[in-house]
Amino acid sequence: MARSAATKPAGAWRLGRWLGALGAAVPAAALLSACAAGPTATPGVVAAVGAENQYADVLSQVGGRYVEVSSVLDDPNSDPHGFELSTSVAKEVGAAALVVQNGLGYDDFMTKIESATPNPRRRVLVVQHLLGLPDATRNPHLWYAPTTMPAVARAVAGALAALEPDHAAYFRARLERFDASLQPWRSAVAAFEARYRGVAVATTEPVADDLLEAMGADNRTPFAFQAAVMNGVDPSPQDISLVHGLLTGHRVRVLCVDAQVVSSLTASIRRTALRAGVPVVAVYETMPAPGYDFQRWMLAEVRAVERAVAGGVSTERL
Amino acid sequence: MSAVHRLLTWLVEPGFASSAPVHVALVVGTVAATVSAVVGVFTVLRGQSFAGHALTDVAAAGGSGALLLGAGALSGFVVGGLLGAGAMDLVGVQRARGRDLATGVVLGVATGVTALVLYLDTTTRATAGTVQQVLFGSIFSVDAAVVPVSVALGAVAVAAVGALYRPLLLSSVDPELAAARGVPTRAVGVVFMGALSLAVGLSAVAIGAILSTALLVGPAAAALRATRRLGWAVVTAVVIGTVSTSLGVLFAYDSYYWAPGRRGLPVSFFVVALVVAAYGVSGLPARRRRRVPGTGR
Repeated sequence: MARSAATKPAGAWRLGRWLGALGAAVPAAALLSACAAGPTATPGVVAAVGAENQYADVLSQVGGRYVEVSSVLDDPNSDPHGFELSTSVAKEVGAAALVVQNGLGYDDFMTKIESATPNPRRRVLVVQHLLGLPDATRNPHLWYAPTTMPAVARAVAGALAALEPDHAAYFRARLERFDASLQPWRSAVAAFEARYRGVAVATTEPVADDLLEAMGADNRTPFAFQAAVMNGVDPSPQDISLVHGLLTGHRVRVLCVDAQVVSSLTASIRRTALRAGVPVVAVYETMPAPGYDFQRWMLAEVRAVERAVAGGVSTERL
Repeated sequence: MSAVHRLLTWLVEPGFASSAPVHVALVVGTVAATVSAVVGVFTVLRGQSFAGHALTDVAAAGGSGALLLGAGALSGFVVGGLLGAGAMDLVGVQRARGRDLATGVVLGVATGVTALVLYLDTTTRATAGTVQQVLFGSIFSVDAAVVPVSVALGAVAVAAVGALYRPLLLSSVDPELAAARGVPTRAVGVVFMGALSLAVGLSAVAIGAILSTALLVGPAAAALRATRRLGWAVVTAVVIGTVSTSLGVLFAYDSYYWAPGRRGLPVSFFVVALVVAAYGVSGLPARRRRRVPGTGR
């Protein structure tokens, strides 16, 4: 009895020490390897991370040959709301000199990994703060608003010019080119609004709500329903009936389905729409790559909604 | 007349009777509650409540695995439950000795597998609300196509228990006497575990895998406290289970109007709360009986 009493605490202590040492060693090793593998090895090239691949795309469009960009969220088959961190991400963020992230809780993991890999040289652009949005903003899918990416691109060009002053003129020129390349999208949005202002639409999630609003569409889906689907909880039966009724009663001209956030509920809503002859358009949380850059993606979404409203054509995959 | 009408409109918010999600929820919930109550009475008699709970964890692994494969949750819950029942039979759940140990091992493994599969669900597939759906149930989101399947599976489970009523009862109450009388206790036990996994699978769809124990054990335990006669216990358990489930659906529907936010509260909570209330009430008559003689209180 005495023996076991003597050995037990020692064993526990040893295990605790061992775990503690492991806990300290793992992040340290990750940090060391991050420093060793840092892309800063290429002089004059800024290592940058976009938390979502649409921000990474704007980073590389503005930064051109003077940035080396990676993105964290880029899997069009998974739900970004359920993302969990890996050590390779920690490595990339640890080595980055410029980070663009969305904010509004959409990519909180970035804030965590940044505080775990402190780097006084790193600049972090939070799109929510760039746009001056309060934390209570209910729809975090900011990139769908036509005013968002021009502001992001401007901030990116400014940050890159501060990091690499020699190439400031290069970044400025690329910023102008990026702004100009958004014109077809803006024109398509304006043309749709002029022609179909007030057209009734339904959605499963608030993902493309800002774009639909800019297009003058009237989203009839209760926000509580969209928020419940986004947050992975059950919508109320009243709202479920209401959304099915919008479709079976032909009270909307298109249903936008979040292709990355699918559940048995969104699947049954999609089926109801198709059975009722309401066209379905897929919208995405992150840029559907390859084959798209940000501008072409947004233009494709507007065109898809337009085809649905004008001709009843579904676009279930971009 | 108008008072009754006012009470009814106060109790039942508008649109309840005509809501399609409510219809599906009531049918799926009633089937799950009925099967769970019937099977649950024998589960409690056999002292296999813990095995029933472990089966819910295996069912959770199955349900989340089915969603990962793109199949319906119900198929996964049922297949998971059946596999779990087989595993527990292999490790010796029929023996009273060491049974908790074997069950505990299966439970631990199943929960670990659930954690892995739910992680894969949320990170590699475009799934939303998987955790909520598997663990706590999404009865208002159940596809109407699931209704005939759940009715059929429920009928199979109740028929199996009904066909084995006598040998099951004997082997539950006195396994040694049953064996002496030539009852194939092992085979009866295996069929019963099959019915048990169907019950767990069906109620996992209704109120979630984790909470399906409540629907399995709660009404049965309450009924067995209220009456000694097995037939009455089964009937009482079915009534407690189905009333709790239907009222749970009603309260969840009504809760949409309780707060200005227009968000319904989860059905599972109301069902479990009502089952617990029924269990509490079922203890009252017995307590009163006990107090009458002797002390004079």
